[in-house]
Amino acid sequence: MLKRVAKVKRERHVRQGLALALAMALTGCSGGGSGGGAGSSAASSVTTPAPIAATDAARFLTQATFGPTDSDVSAVQAQGYASWISTQTAMAPSTPTHLSFVNTRLTALKAANPNASLSANEFEESFWSAAATAPDQLRQRMKLALSEIFVVSLQEPGIDVAGAASYYDMLGTDAFGNFRTILQDVTLHPMMGVYMTYVSNQPDNLATGLHPDQNYAREVMQLMTVGLWQLNMDGSQKLDSAGNPIPTYGQTDVTGLAEVFTGLSWYSPTPTTSTFFGKNKDPNATTTPMIAYPSYHSTLAKSFLGATIPASATPDPTGDLKIALDTLFNHPNTAPFISKQLIQRFVTSNPSPAYIQRVATVFANDGSGVRGNMAAVINAVLTDSEARTAGGATYGKVREPVVRMANWMRIFGAQSASGNWLLGLTNSNTSLNQATLYASSVFNFWRPGYSPPNTQMGAQNLVAPEFQAVDEVAVAGYANTLLGAVNSGIGGGADISSTYATESGLASDANALTNRVNQMLLYGQMSSGLNQDIVNAVNSIAIPGGTATQAQISAAQLNRAKLAIYMTMVSPEFLVQR
Amino acid sequence: MTSSAADRRQFLRLGAAFAGLGAAGPFAMQLAAMGSAAAQSAPNYKALVCIFLLGGNDANNMVLATDSDSWGRYWSARNTGADPIALMPVGTAAIAPGQTSSVTGRVATAATPEAWGGVLPIVPSTPNPVPPGTNATTRTFGLHPFFGPVQSLFNSGRLAIMANVGTLIQPTSKAQYVAKSASLPVNLYSHNDQQSEWQAGAAEGARLGWGGRMADLMMSSNGANSLFTAVSPAGNAVFLSGQNVVQYQITTATNPAVMFNSIGGSSLFGSTSAPALIKTLLQDSASQANLMAADYATVDTRSIGAAGAINTALTAGAAGSMAAPPIFTNPITGATQTNGLALQMRSIARMVAAAPGLGVQRQVFFASLGSFDTHQNENQSQPVLLAQVAQALSYFDTLLSNVGGADLRSQVTAFTASEFNRTFTTNGSGTDHAWGSHHLVLGGAVRGKTIYGQYPTLGIDLGGFNNPNMSGNAIIPTTSVDQYAATLGAWFGVGQSDLNTIFPNLANFSPNNLGFV
Repeated sequence: MLKRVAKVKRERHVRQGLALALAMALTGCSGGGSGGGAGSSAASSVTTPAPIAATDAARFLTQATFGPTDSDVSAVQAQGYASWISTQTAMAPSTPTHLSFVNTRLTALKAANPNASLSANEFEESFWSAAATAPDQLRQRMKLALSEIFVVSLQEPGIDVAGAASYYDMLGTDAFGNFRTILQDVTLHPMMGVYMTYVSNQPDNLATGLHPDQNYAREVMQLMTVGLWQLNMDGSQKLDSAGNPIPTYGQTDVTGLAEVFTGLSWYSPTPTTSTFFGKNKDPNATTTPMIAYPSYHSTLAKSFLGATIPASATPDPTGDLKIALDTLFNHPNTAPFISKQLIQRFVTSNPSPAYIQRVATVFANDGSGVRGNMAAVINAVLTDSEARTAGGATYGKVREPVVRMANWMRIFGAQSASGNWLLGLTNSNTSLNQATLYASSVFNFWRPGYSPPNTQMGAQNLVAPEFQAVDEVAVAGYANTLLGAVNSGIGGGADISSTYATESGLASDANALTNRVNQMLLYGQMSSGLNQDIVNAVNSIAIPGGTATQAQISAAQLNRAKLAIYMTMVSPEFLVQR
Repeated sequence: MTSSAADRRQFLRLGAAFAGLGAAGPFAMQLAAMGSAAAQSAPNYKALVCIFLLGGNDANNMVLATDSDSWGRYWSARNTGADPIALMPVGTAAIAPGQTSSVTGRVATAATPEAWGGVLPIVPSTPNPVPPGTNATTRTFGLHPFFGPVQSLFNSGRLAIMANVGTLIQPTSKAQYVAKSASLPVNLYSHNDQQSEWQAGAAEGARLGWGGRMADLMMSSNGANSLFTAVSPAGNAVFLSGQNVVQYQITTATNPAVMFNSIGGSSLFGSTSAPALIKTLLQDSASQANLMAADYATVDTRSIGAAGAINTALTAGAAGSMAAPPIFTNPITGATQTNGLALQMRSIARMVAAAPGLGVQRQVFFASLGSFDTHQNENQSQPVLLAQVAQALSYFDTLLSNVGGADLRSQVTAFTASEFNRTFTTNGSGTDHAWGSHHLVLGGAVRGKTIYGQYPTLGIDLGGFNNPNMSGNAIIPTTSVDQYAATLGAWFGVGQSDLNTIFPNLANFSPNNLGFV
């Protein structure tokens, strides 16, 4: 049985806590928690924050985790937002890793069938296991968010499951480190090399016109660092004197940068031409960073984004890569480009320019002169006033389908009978229309700039990225998948299910039950109309009296709980997190 | 299936798209009565079917120039690298894996062009003009070796080829492109933006596609059933979105619409009132304080409102008895697999068959096939994709030839589209993003067996050669997507003035009707 544990590393906690405290001090927040009662009696310059209501804690956890639990809510109320965040960012990545999870599964599968091999399903199981139970919830959410920017997909035949699992682990390990490290580790990961087709990428052959593969050069700029248009720190496009947006790069930048991504290929302890082309692979090649093969690295001059690497007599793959990644990392666009997307993944689809600017400013400088401090950035995203206080009619975001399912697992304490969280691929539009590390292309399940046609949001020129996965089939698919899960569990053999102990215990009182689902699923914001509907529906299920057995009573209470949960989770107001 | 009074009121509340389906009696019975007679009584019916090849199809390997000058430059650009992607010359016999090719001297595997045989010759009924820069006096052409069904359709006269079409603002010469002195579409070479340019004439963020906008103009001829004007078995596509026309999503299953399980039964979790309560709350857009929630509820509403009608319509009569696609055998691996594009074509053909019974005169459809972004290992993937396209087109043609006894092929025009072509030279085993491309148009009304537009001069600028049709590795289009689309629109029934509105840059080009349909 694979159980999630957290290992706290002391030194790192102190280091990160220090950086965070500094950042907090500069932004004027008090470093401590709240809880109830009187604050510090001494310094009059420090404001004691008001106690955090359970509903606000639940709302915060909806943004920062895969779903609030009672103990999470209490923890946030006791510690305060900043302290909870710093505890989370300091926590070491939980175990088992996705790689060890899938390897353990493979061993079990082979015990039954010696010819068994891993499929994407086992990776998905590792995802649900962590989402539902891991204590480092913020890191789990960050992994998902990063995997939607630095996209790699198991839909691609060349992506192997162990490799994908190690890729996701890498995003987790780096989640609260520095963005420059993320960029380096992503670029050198063999699964990105395969997905963006630059593994074994060769330099130009000037005689035939053979040119290096340009795929990663383009997409690392377009999707993962600087984007298409020059940006101000508030995310708005810079305009030229004619009022037109200014491109960040052109085709020559792509071809120039493509020269850098040559000569990278599979790890081997004894690299040869053969291993460069993917033969005689080391058994760990798909989970080990790629290495440079200097003889296949371009020595031509390379120009991109204003940087020029002169032609050289000897190939310098490491040096060229450093210049390229430094250039991308330090480009002024990267701060707003990445900050806005993180806000979109955690809080709201249409952040105000001021919100973007506040977060981008922290990306650019965490307060100690460090650029790219991801712990500081996520703190900025989640503690910002625009995150803590809900906005108006166009504020918020559609909950991602996998997050909705994980919400159900986590909030209602779902258990896996096998311990292996046997829920595989959910990408079908009759399922959830999304599965982690299973996007259709490097453009993710949805574009950050997607503005849904024929909608009120679209009519206001607003974006709603997750709406790209919403259509007449997917809405019914979600509702039906949810119904099955709520009713009897989900996954192979209904492996993952909940007994709804708390909710059943309240079910004899329809108002208490409805208040409970309101608190946990909607952080107290359920509309009175939905509230009344649920109360009425629940009351229509009679709790038998008289000579009824306990079993009959319990069955009725359980039905009431299921109905209240289902009605809430299928309601339009649940579908949008605000 | 009967529509309850409440359902009908719900339909009406949502405006024209949901007005009652005109049924006095049970809907299914009404359809059955119409059947094949209905198919024949809709001579004004027309449908456009966009088949989008997602990722940027390497059309350089789909429609080829086989005159010796063109072929020589093609060969030197592509018969190189770790896994050469050059196809074999016309007339080359396929050889078995393990044999040595007399053309290349290499040992064939199933995934090398040597094993596939030479490109398939096609002879256009009118010679395609010879462009400057080639030495040929006439041009000859061929198709990918796995395009046998397309060769047959071409020869039958029902399939035309559109040469060198791409996104353009104005006619653009090589000099203008290099000097950046012509207005160019935004973000050439960017997947999402060019997909949007092809479908909507604007970069990502566009919310109106030209298919939807054409359908807007035709909506009145769909009477009360405009709900079924724009249908996709392939996912959200801006191509289908109009001001009033909203795309409707279906699956490729026997019952293409998905019903909500929680609202159809007499009780849920022991509550007899729950199904109706849930049905209402799902569709409650008006009460939502949040616009995204309101928009989500609207999608619920469309889903619930039409699912039953779609399933009834598509399982009745000719729509319900369409032959399944033939088995698809992967030409590289020999394994049988599903041809997802063929399944989509069947769903579309079923909608076409059901349209007369629904009183729908004009429809636009969107189908797609993915994975054309062949940066590497092109030999292993593109041939399989092209074989699926060929089978799907042939199957669609066959289905429409007999819909309840009626030949509907002249009423449906399908056309391929893709965000761009790919680089003329290889990066070793694949290709990168480029621009001007070649596409296919299929239908009974198509003036086929012809190559429209100007097939370009081929070859990159190497060794003193200066190709007026290429810059770097990209072909500069000589026909714009606007012209391609406007030609389809004119056939569909859109007037010139409306075409100029939908395609504001159309006036920059001549002719604005290419004449292929």
